[in-house]
Amino acid sequence: MEHLSYSTRTAIQSLVKEKWINLLSSLTVAASLLVSVMAVITIYNVEIFTRNLPEKFTMVVYLNDKISQDDVGKLMAQLKAKDYAAGAKFISSDAALAELKRTLKGISNIIEGLDENPLSSAIELKLKKERVNASSVKIISGDIRKLPGVEDVYYEARIAETVSLLKTSVENLSLIVLCMIIFVVLFVISSTVKILFYRRKAEIEIIKLLGATGGFIRLPFLIEGGAIGFLGGLFAAFGAAAFYFILTTKFSAFMPILRTMVMPAEIIILMPLVGVAIGVAGALISVGRLRL
Amino acid sequence: MIFFKNVTKYYDDQPVLKNIDLSVTKGEMVFLTGPTGAGKSTLLKLLYAAELPDEGELLVGDWHIGNLSPSEIPMLRRSMGVVFQDFKLLDNLTVYDNIALALRVRGRKEKEIKGSVLEALRNVHLRHKADNFPPTLSGGEQQRVVIARALVSEPSVLLADEPTGNLDPDTSSHIAKLFYEANIHGTTVLIATHNRDLYRNTGRRVIRLDSGMLLGQEIG
Repeated sequence: MEHLSYSTRTAIQSLVKEKWINLLSSLTVAASLLVSVMAVITIYNVEIFTRNLPEKFTMVVYLNDKISQDDVGKLMAQLKAKDYAAGAKFISSDAALAELKRTLKGISNIIEGLDENPLSSAIELKLKKERVNASSVKIISGDIRKLPGVEDVYYEARIAETVSLLKTSVENLSLIVLCMIIFVVLFVISSTVKILFYRRKAEIEIIKLLGATGGFIRLPFLIEGGAIGFLGGLFAAFGAAAFYFILTTKFSAFMPILRTMVMPAEIIILMPLVGVAIGVAGALISVGRLRL
Repeated sequence: MIFFKNVTKYYDDQPVLKNIDLSVTKGEMVFLTGPTGAGKSTLLKLLYAAELPDEGELLVGDWHIGNLSPSEIPMLRRSMGVVFQDFKLLDNLTVYDNIALALRVRGRKEKEIKGSVLEALRNVHLRHKADNFPPTLSGGEQQRVVIARALVSEPSVLLADEPTGNLDPDTSSHIAKLFYEANIHGTTVLIATHNRDLYRNTGRRVIRLDSGMLLGQEIG
């Protein structure tokens, strides 16, 4: 505890004494963290956007023309019992034809001449959100095709594929960006702390001769690294808030989708803390390895 | 307490200390004397592990210098007070903080530190300079700050390298008195000095060094 109080004072003195290098380092950290906040916000918004897509996804199960009413009932019950089913609705061939006529209003004479209804009865199946992805949908459709009375299964493959692709691409890209930024921030802070360490080398030699341990010597640098990270995080939080405000108010006139963009408040609060953690880690990388 | 057995130290293959055999008992006060370059400072540096012996065996208390692990060196140094010839004061710290640092590295509480530092400053007649920075002090005043820093932790061993080099005769005799007082309270004192007045008629052991060799000893 006594060490902590002395180390904090030493760190503050050094922050003030070396204000320019520390400010420059904090701003570099802020710029990097700002990019990482944007990556996180992108992931978050893509997640919200893709969360609603599965609700629009429907699988149409076309039934055999010869299927009896009893068998339709059994099939419906079977489908509803499946762990991937969120709901099922029977559409008779007559209802399907009526719907088709409504859709083709004006040109319905095309189907007027038909002697019999060419459409099959079908079951419209809604899937649970978490099951709407390209691979899962493929397996499910294969499973349904095997059921008795099923003629064919149709689904809009693009929705499932888009959901998967969009999510994976954005997540992977953001993850790469995040890793690169963490590396950059660690490098910036560890380099800054190393410079500060070498500037105080003579002083440290004297402190060592007085009996200081490695921990006593390192602690002020860890605090300083944490402080640089904190300032960087704070600047990044302000920057992100300003950026969000500009995007949703000024730029949304040209791109209305920006109006729906969401930025969770937790990110803003977390930024300085993330900065502290990365700052301490960066300082630890630089002074932790030094033989004292 | 301090035990040299056949200790040799080289700088760039040149021996600066040759086959030193010396022992200092606990609570003793010993003077090291000899011309410049005799090896007095190197001998003291070996004791606080700023240098390590190349040959021979050196013991300080229970510490086996030469076989110390990096974590043991600070512990050895905390048992000592050192008056460095080149002062080694931190220019960016006040006189008070320079002295307090010796206690802070030992993990002492701030309240306790304050009392000890102010008393140490009074002992060297520099209480009024507590808030000054070292560059604003005269050479003699800086030397007294170093002495206060060495004594403030009440060390079991006190090493002093030319402690009166920058002091006038009156201040020198006052500082010598402080060393004797520390010795009376049980501190083992080893002083490297050119100043004959410091050891003349003291009844203490005076060891002569020249060209890295122990030439002999006498009672001052």
